[in-house]
Amino acid sequence: MLTRINIGPIHPSTHGVLRLVVDLDGDTIANVEPHIGFLHRGVEKLVETRMYMQSPPYMEKLDYIAPMSVDELYVSTVEKALGIEVKERAQYQRMILLELQRIASHLFFIGALTNDMGMMFTGFMWGFRDRELILRLLEEATGQRMFYVNMRLGGMVNDFHGDFEQHVLKTMDYMEKRIPEYEKFLEKNPIFKQRTKGVGVLKRDDAIALGVSGPVLRASGVPYDVRRDNPYYFYKELNFREMSLNGGDSFSRYRLRVMEMRESMRIIRESFRKMPEGDSTGQMVKLRMPPVKNKVVTVAREVPRGEELMYMVAGDQKPYRLSIRSPVFINLHALNHIAKGHRLADLYPILGSLDVVMADVDR
Amino acid sequence: MLIGSIESFMQAGINSSDVLVSILFLVLYAVLVSILMSVYAYLFGWIERKVIAKAQYRHGPNVVGKYGLLQNLADLVKLIAKEVRYPSNADSRAMALSMIGLVSIVVFVILLLPLTPGLAATNFGLGLLLVFVVLGFSPLLLFITGFASGNKFGELGAQRSVLMVIGYDIPLIIVVGTIALAAGGFSITGVIGAQQSLPFALLMPIGFIVFFIVMLAEMERPPFDLREADSELIAGWLTDVSGPYYALALMLDYTRMFMGSLLISILFLSGWAGPLLPPLVWLLIKAFIVSLFIIIIRATVVRLRIDKVLRLGWIYLLPLSIANLLVTFIILKG
Amino acid sequence: MKVEREDLGRNLSDMKRSGYTYLVKITAVDYSDHLEAIYILRNMDERKDVSVEVKLAPTDLWLDTVISQFPAADWYERELQEMFGILIKGRKADRLLLEKWDGREYPLRRSFEWGKDYERM
Repeated sequence: MLTRINIGPIHPSTHGVLRLVVDLDGDTIANVEPHIGFLHRGVEKLVETRMYMQSPPYMEKLDYIAPMSVDELYVSTVEKALGIEVKERAQYQRMILLELQRIASHLFFIGALTNDMGMMFTGFMWGFRDRELILRLLEEATGQRMFYVNMRLGGMVNDFHGDFEQHVLKTMDYMEKRIPEYEKFLEKNPIFKQRTKGVGVLKRDDAIALGVSGPVLRASGVPYDVRRDNPYYFYKELNFREMSLNGGDSFSRYRLRVMEMRESMRIIRESFRKMPEGDSTGQMVKLRMPPVKNKVVTVAREVPRGEELMYMVAGDQKPYRLSIRSPVFINLHALNHIAKGHRLADLYPILGSLDVVMADVDR
Repeated sequence: MLIGSIESFMQAGINSSDVLVSILFLVLYAVLVSILMSVYAYLFGWIERKVIAKAQYRHGPNVVGKYGLLQNLADLVKLIAKEVRYPSNADSRAMALSMIGLVSIVVFVILLLPLTPGLAATNFGLGLLLVFVVLGFSPLLLFITGFASGNKFGELGAQRSVLMVIGYDIPLIIVVGTIALAAGGFSITGVIGAQQSLPFALLMPIGFIVFFIVMLAEMERPPFDLREADSELIAGWLTDVSGPYYALALMLDYTRMFMGSLLISILFLSGWAGPLLPPLVWLLIKAFIVSLFIIIIRATVVRLRIDKVLRLGWIYLLPLSIANLLVTFIILKG
Repeated sequence: MKVEREDLGRNLSDMKRSGYTYLVKITAVDYSDHLEAIYILRNMDERKDVSVEVKLAPTDLWLDTVISQFPAADWYERELQEMFGILIKGRKADRLLLEKWDGREYPLRRSFEWGKDYERM
């Protein structure tokens, strides 16, 4: 006999307003059905009613853990639709900020994951503490701690100030010492290993069939990374490693994110070395744009949670249609497949290892 | 000196030939022990918050009272002032009674323990056995609370509590049997007496580890807090316990820690034996250190899964406890 | 790549056999006089994307489900049903995924007015 239990929408471990209807066979999960839509704001429709440069603030609220990545994606989509070139220096600066954002997001992930597994907030506080340092850097660069809106067509709102490079490199040095501490803290913990290794295995073929992306896909042995395979900005000129793990379990998904943080730091250092002198400020915010008529553009970005893609039909002054491929929307869809047959207690680490942000799922 | 005179006064009263006087003194003793327990629990509610805050680079409570000492009192007042609510399909009487029963078990077990050499309210030959018999009721009451709440999360927590008992109870009884074997009887004062030369923690280190792990599970401390499992089951068996009863549950957390620490100190760390300081102080110091260790564990581990608990119990703890029994037997007889 | 609606299932199966195993996104655009459903597929070995477009008349909105070829299509198809009123044939009746509309209004259609008070379910 199946017991049906309802988890959420208000629950400590559902990462926002997610409701899971779980059918349990004893303590084993027979079926999980995610009920989403509690945070649906109709952004895709909203954007159709706004002029191009009125929308970035809305975009930031999609993924509130890594707001800049979505903002940047939207601005890039508009740039591509309008045919605007981005200044070289601004491209490097965007890369630096996006990678900082990725580190912050992954630190959040580690904290949330340990919390889902029942650690008494220690991992959470550690992750948040170091994330705060990154947020401080982002605040230094943009003036805001969480929601930046610092992208302009063709560049940034403002150039980095003189000491910013020093501050970033100092924080990176610190982070390089901190990450081994996380590894020691978690990977040497037998209970942590027990709870994640071999739990929530997503096989390579299933991962492709289910359309998951980002760290979840790479942890299943598919080394697809938009930064390398569909490169944008100067990612193709940097050398960063192809990353994939073959485990496909929660541990691989955790491990891959730790590896990604290291790679991000390498990218940041290299970007600073290669960044040309000059000016990176973009165009002033103008609401009126040169007219475009039904031009279709598709832009993909590797945001911390996977591949975010915008399909835009550009209209006159306003997007005619903007369709967002949210990586977590489809990663969450895979939850049922991954969690089936596991214990109820494993549902939370599995959900945590998918790193969902409900605002991005519901759009 | 003061403790000594109170001790002899109490002991004289309890041993009085008049049954009424004896009962009166027993009640007085129970009240004193309850006060001691409450103070300890309150203090540790605060210490735990501070220690865990330290581990997490936080400050912990620091607003209400000096160093946040009154924070827990504020919480307690808040909870007691709250309305008691039960779900419509809950058996409210069963829930309330079993919550009270759980606290009573803890008090009863502490009453059975000799806190000082001169004063053992209920020092009789089978004390050790009685402690664990009484303790065995606590998962049952836990189960009743969870099950009677009519909440599915409560029910899951209750089921887990029963499953855990299957995992850890047999190793526990074997270790207790080993202690009785080494002490030559089930009297708790006898157990402490047998440790005068060598604490049992050194005589049977494996048994100590097994007992410690089992006590962690018994006390519902992480990583064995599966029945409460706040990030999984909301609050497990406590999900629908509200108001003063929830305050009682929070108290229970720390009183059980006190009980567990006392048991560990008495059975393995030679109880109140120690130089210079009065015996009661020695016992409390030992219990304090054990409690502190338990708290630090809480700050660093993730929760075990129920099947892993059973695995731990049957595959590791059970053989270890049997090996412990054999090794101790050989040491004692050899 | 434009395909006819009737050939969609067969075309996608062909694509899948030729290596386009990864479904990136299904979306649709309402061009007022017609609707267009877009299937973006990816060849994971060659890192190549291709989009398959299906033209739909606004009076006759349906598509065949591709869930058997691409399990990832599940939620996207539900979204299309809900947002554009495109009936996906071959699915069992679904609970609404994102919205709580009664199914008479389709938010992402151009005829849906922003800011107007629609009756909620």
